Amino acid sequence: MCSSQLFARVFFFFFFFSQLVLCVTEDGWTLGPGLVTHYKQYPPNTSKVYSYFECREKKTDSTKTRKVKYNKTVFYGLQYILQKYLTGKVITPQKIQEAKEVYREHFQDDVFNEKGWNYILEKYNGHLPIEIKAVPEGSVIPRGNVLFTVESTDPECYWLTNWVETILVQIWYPITVATNSREQKKILAKYLMETSGNLEGLEYKLHDFGYRGVSSQETAGIGASAHLVNFKGTDTVAGIGVIKKYYGTKDPVPGFSVPAAEHSTITAWGKDHEKDAFEHIIKQFPSVPVSIVSDSYDIYNACEKIWGEDLRGLIEARSADAPLVVRPDSGNPLDTVLKVLEILGKKFTPQENSKGYKVLPPYIRVIQGDGVDINTLQEIVEGMKEHRWSIENISFGSGGALLQKLTRDLLNCSFKCSYVVTNGLGVNVFKDPVADPNKRSKKGRLSLHRTQSGDFVTLEEGKGDLEEYGQDLLHTVFQNGKIVKMYTFDEVRDNARLKEFEVEELLH
Amino acid sequence: MAAPDFNFLLATDSYKITHYKQYPPNVNRVYSYFECRRRKDAQFNEVVFFGLQYLLKKYLTGPVITEEKIQEAKVFYQLHFKQAVFDEEGWRQVLEKHDGRLPIRIKAVPEGKIIPRGNVLFTVENTDPDFFWLTNYIETMLVQMWYPITVATISREFKKILAKHLKATSGSLEGLDFKLHDFGYRGVSSQESAALGGAAHLVNFCSTDTVAGLLMAQRYYSCPMAGFSIPAAEHSTIISWGRSREKEAFERLLDQFPSGPVSVVSDSYDIFKACKYIWGDKLKERVMERSEDSALVIRPDSGDPAETLIEVIKILEECFGSSLNSVGYKVLPSYLRIIQGDGIDLNDEGWSAENVFFGCGSALLQKLNRDTLHCAFKCSYVESNGKGMDVYKQPVTDPSKGSKRGRLSLRRNSDGFIETVERGVGKPEEDLLVTVFENGTILQEYSLDDIRKNCICTHGLVPHENESD
Repeated sequence: MCSSQLFARVFFFFFFFSQLVLCVTEDGWTLGPGLVTHYKQYPPNTSKVYSYFECREKKTDSTKTRKVKYNKTVFYGLQYILQKYLTGKVITPQKIQEAKEVYREHFQDDVFNEKGWNYILEKYNGHLPIEIKAVPEGSVIPRGNVLFTVESTDPECYWLTNWVETILVQIWYPITVATNSREQKKILAKYLMETSGNLEGLEYKLHDFGYRGVSSQETAGIGASAHLVNFKGTDTVAGIGVIKKYYGTKDPVPGFSVPAAEHSTITAWGKDHEKDAFEHIIKQFPSVPVSIVSDSYDIYNACEKIWGEDLRGLIEARSADAPLVVRPDSGNPLDTVLKVLEILGKKFTPQENSKGYKVLPPYIRVIQGDGVDINTLQEIVEGMKEHRWSIENISFGSGGALLQKLTRDLLNCSFKCSYVVTNGLGVNVFKDPVADPNKRSKKGRLSLHRTQSGDFVTLEEGKGDLEEYGQDLLHTVFQNGKIVKMYTFDEVRDNARLKEFEVEELLH
Repeated sequence: MAAPDFNFLLATDSYKITHYKQYPPNVNRVYSYFECRRRKDAQFNEVVFFGLQYLLKKYLTGPVITEEKIQEAKVFYQLHFKQAVFDEEGWRQVLEKHDGRLPIRIKAVPEGKIIPRGNVLFTVENTDPDFFWLTNYIETMLVQMWYPITVATISREFKKILAKHLKATSGSLEGLDFKLHDFGYRGVSSQESAALGGAAHLVNFCSTDTVAGLLMAQRYYSCPMAGFSIPAAEHSTIISWGRSREKEAFERLLDQFPSGPVSVVSDSYDIFKACKYIWGDKLKERVMERSEDSALVIRPDSGDPAETLIEVIKILEECFGSSLNSVGYKVLPSYLRIIQGDGIDLNDEGWSAENVFFGCGSALLQKLNRDTLHCAFKCSYVESNGKGMDVYKQPVTDPSKGSKRGRLSLRRNSDGFIETVERGVGKPEEDLLVTVFENGTILQEYSLDDIRKNCICTHGLVPHENESD
């Protein structure tokens, strides 16, 4: 019932609610109600719950059509979540009261653990008594290894470990964006090396066009920052803010862009004035690269007649630092790119580079920013190579596929309890569903190590204590409400860089 | 309102900073629109319009420009483009002339309305000739409407399927609003998306674990409590008892939650044995003593969804029996139900849809993108020197990407079908688009109650069967 009194009361709650438990955005708190009732479900006399996160390996894959394997993942994004949602005083008396009221309405019952939260408020001044140990951000780790662990540090707060699961599991997103972006970097590196002999400009070969195609402003910031782990070109400005606020770089900004047209700035001139639009825009930006979408009516005509004839002189006068970048935006990506290159090649004579591939004159380039995902990217660079075009000629833009067309299932990101202490005894626990061996979880206390041959291995059941494999690569990053270890974005980028041996592997 | 450090000037695609220099000289109006383009191979033919009010309230209303923000943007863009290209003066004019409020008009379909693909859903234009460049500056933010529209649409499509099966196998639509539970919180890309997606699902259903969606509905759509949930186990609360004590874990759940429904995930080791030997034998009496209002809801969570569901229901039938309902389908005893994590396709094996609830996670809130409904924002009309011109794109490489021309309106034609009128010839009195935002102020608001009424889902719904306009 929405009587004005009830509405006012709820609205009043909501105002204070807006900074409730575990969420410091002004939009409110963020906990799954199912979790609200879990404190009642653990065995009696449980004094610790220990859980971990991994990108599970998929040994029996029913989707054999998947071309890309994603054998390793980039660990990124925990620092954002910790700072934004888990650090400092996240519990206050008002928040507890308001949560109690809302959950009573939501469950139509009193199930909220008021006592447990008051304990945290009083003993820890509202800081969360949990410890999180994690792999350094930017680390590239094979699937099936522990990436971080979470455990309660106070016997009264055993239930807290899995309370934070929902928030922490959202790390699947920055991990998946960064991983998918890096796999595309490998593809580009391979073909760029093969067709030009070096990797110059690699970091600008895949530009983030995804701002409008993500589900929210917050997602845009997180996703764009994850792409910038591997590349430097972006139009999703929000990502740069996230990096600045939560990671920091020594350079003033971690990502760059160039002036570019959109359809409205071309079509607003009218169909018969496409040439005037093109001319006006390139003249506005004489000394930096400028990208001009050229398919509003007919991409091939635009390339052949307008760029290739009417405005040719203007283009040839541009320097290598300020090329015209022709942008197709429709049609089959590979076919369109090849045809555009062919037409431009006829009007602007290409040179052959040291590897025997054709390169357009330095004042003209192409950017393909439509329909680009990891599969079409591979098709296009392969197709260009077959037609003897160097990858120096092209860069790519990717939107939805870069930042949105991804799910938690792509890398099987999962958070599971592996160890509990009940009646003073530690017990290794796990799930092992009969109908899906891939969903089996790890047992006991976990640690991550490097073997002598340089591979990674996760030790289960507390075996890391035996010190057979040397140091645990998991470091404590969060303890009892404080962040105790942080990484700069420069460190993240360094950890995630393409290693020489990887590039060599790609070429053979 | 957005967080205090949210800078509107940094909430756009970088290239849009450079567009004010690219329009023809003397342009004084740019008019654009948003649609879910029609495609021949499209899976979904109509969409639920939802979510604009959230964007307007959070990001576009009131004074969104301050001098501080202009300075921050100026410094940033200088570094980002490695040159000065930001239109500092233009934005200062917004500040000085309009107190930092956006001189923009947005007309939109009422929220909750069901509209066929290929129709205009909202239009945007500048109200002050000096700010023609503003219309498409806000494209990036407004195109994110694709998300709540797509979630609400997919959620409603699920509802249509569930309605059909429920009606056929039980004779009524009772309980339909609780049939699809949102489990998607952990599988979305951010807290904000969880809130928005969660709220979009609540347009059609009342069942959710995505609490952020409830708060979104409260704060932005005036609904004090839009959805409900029940106590439920997760794997950790079962496996923490140890493999040999699954029965004790289950029993604890029944003890802790004696009244009201309780959901228990039962596949930690072997779903079939759990159903047959624990629920169906060791704890059978405890299950049977529960009432209809405090049913045990068994949750499988692995294996092929359809096959698992059928096998589980057969085992439960063996242990607990079943009865036939008024339309001849089998129903488990009222104290026993199943919640299936995914796999909406109900099998025709003689079981009523009354037996099962569905939970949906990433398929509901994450496994969607702007191409699911082909959402696009395009300029269709400009004015220069007071003279109007219809504009459009029509790429020879993809006719389906052609855009509409001129000023647009939306009307119901004489056959009752909704259609878009182009080229400015629509009659204002027939226009279904409503001015919702003008010069920084929201002029029309909708509550979740209004929205729910607008998209009522009845069995056998046809596209134009929408009473309330």
